[in-house]
Amino acid sequence: MNQRILAAFWLLVSPILWGADSQWVLGQSTLSYHVSHPLHESVGVSHQARGKGVCHAGQCDFLIAAPVKSFDSGDSNRDLHMLQVTRGAQFPLVTVRVAVSETEITSATIHCDLEIQFAGQTARYKQVPFQREVHGNEVRIAGTIPATLSDFKIDPPSLLTVPIKNDIPVRVDMTWHPQ
Amino acid sequence: MIGNNVCGWLGRVRRLVVVCLCATLAPFLAAQTAATGTLTGKVVDASGAAVASARMTAVSTDAGQTQTATSGADGVYRLTLPPGNYRLKFEASGFVTVEIPSATVVASETSVLDGKLDAVAQSSQQPAAKSPEKPAEPSLNDLGFPADQTAGNAAEQMRLDKRSHMLKIHQRLGLITAGALVATLVLSNGAAGRNSTASGRELHAAVGGVTAGLYITTASFAIFAPKIAGTKTRGPIRVHKALAFIHGPGMILTPILGALAYEQRSSGEKVHGIASAHGAVGTVTAIAYGAAMLSVVFKF
Repeated sequence: MNQRILAAFWLLVSPILWGADSQWVLGQSTLSYHVSHPLHESVGVSHQARGKGVCHAGQCDFLIAAPVKSFDSGDSNRDLHMLQVTRGAQFPLVTVRVAVSETEITSATIHCDLEIQFAGQTARYKQVPFQREVHGNEVRIAGTIPATLSDFKIDPPSLLTVPIKNDIPVRVDMTWHPQ
Repeated sequence: MIGNNVCGWLGRVRRLVVVCLCATLAPFLAAQTAATGTLTGKVVDASGAAVASARMTAVSTDAGQTQTATSGADGVYRLTLPPGNYRLKFEASGFVTVEIPSATVVASETSVLDGKLDAVAQSSQQPAAKSPEKPAEPSLNDLGFPADQTAGNAAEQMRLDKRSHMLKIHQRLGLITAGALVATLVLSNGAAGRNSTASGRELHAAVGGVTAGLYITTASFAIFAPKIAGTKTRGPIRVHKALAFIHGPGMILTPILGALAYEQRSSGEKVHGIASAHGAVGTVTAIAYGAAMLSVVFKF
């Protein structure tokens, strides 16, 4: 009898503990990289990212991807140089895989482990903080990935023989909604 | 006598132009013709440790040919392949097989692609049996990108590489040309006005000739850089290109007017007629050139 009660209790509680399966789709998004040079700074922005998330047994896996050539800095020459140094024609997508626990995902600040594939390289970032806001059934996630050129073995391009800085922080602002 | 002087001066300019043309054509003549590229990388497990004896298969999506390689004790594999697009597969005993839908091999280049393998579940040793009820992790196929946005394009990458290489030379030569241009302007003090001397005019003409030659070479690297289809010119580069319509003709006109002025001064005449515009045209050309440089340096 006790075993039956225990089993019934477990059936009731487990979805609450682990969360039911859920899937998420990326709606609007703004990804922007920031490049610094002693003479000027520039920002490349893409709104063409697509993403999907799957939560199961307390674990959520997200995949976000954006075409490298969709990043627009307002200067076609600079964008073509960016495409060249990042080997964007050879590796046309930048993909980000995110693994986060379902309990973490309900916090106001989410700490995610990221795996980014870009320019034919894979870089991993641990515990990157993102801010989370809920608006109705949509969830807005915003944060900055502390990426560097050397993470992806990219030689810093130079202007007038002066190379750009190694840091290229990527600002992320995404709105997710359940599928 | 005057005719001989002018002919000699023009001869020197002609020789300079020939040297500059040779310098301009050299990169095209030295184009690489290697027929294969290299794909290499390291196969690691989830902890980052090297996976030895992993099998890496590359299937050409263009020709359908298959080549395989096996990772060494350090996890490193290496494949020499004809240029093109490939579908790749990493396999190792005890690990989930990983497939990469598209990777591009470029002729005479080494592409690095690392493989990360996750161990299969201990209970079954079957990748599919990780968790039958678990929804599949999101994949690129779920995102619905069109095929042309996900497949690598080796030819396009080569065009981009060549374009950047030529524009890098354009940029460096442009700096050198700017230095020569400033020197020509400074030396103009000894070629005109009260301080004018024959040697001053000779020196100004010689440095001016070098400047014109450098300018032609610099411009050639931009003019002959490959164009990338579907790219609309936007931003400060438009100003940079527009200014070329001022300093380009200026760089052709200035030496011609300079030769006329040189001839008139050398014959004891005062510079007159169209030749008297040499200084003004040269100054406008130099200003337009400087502005073109600044247009790509400073954001506005």
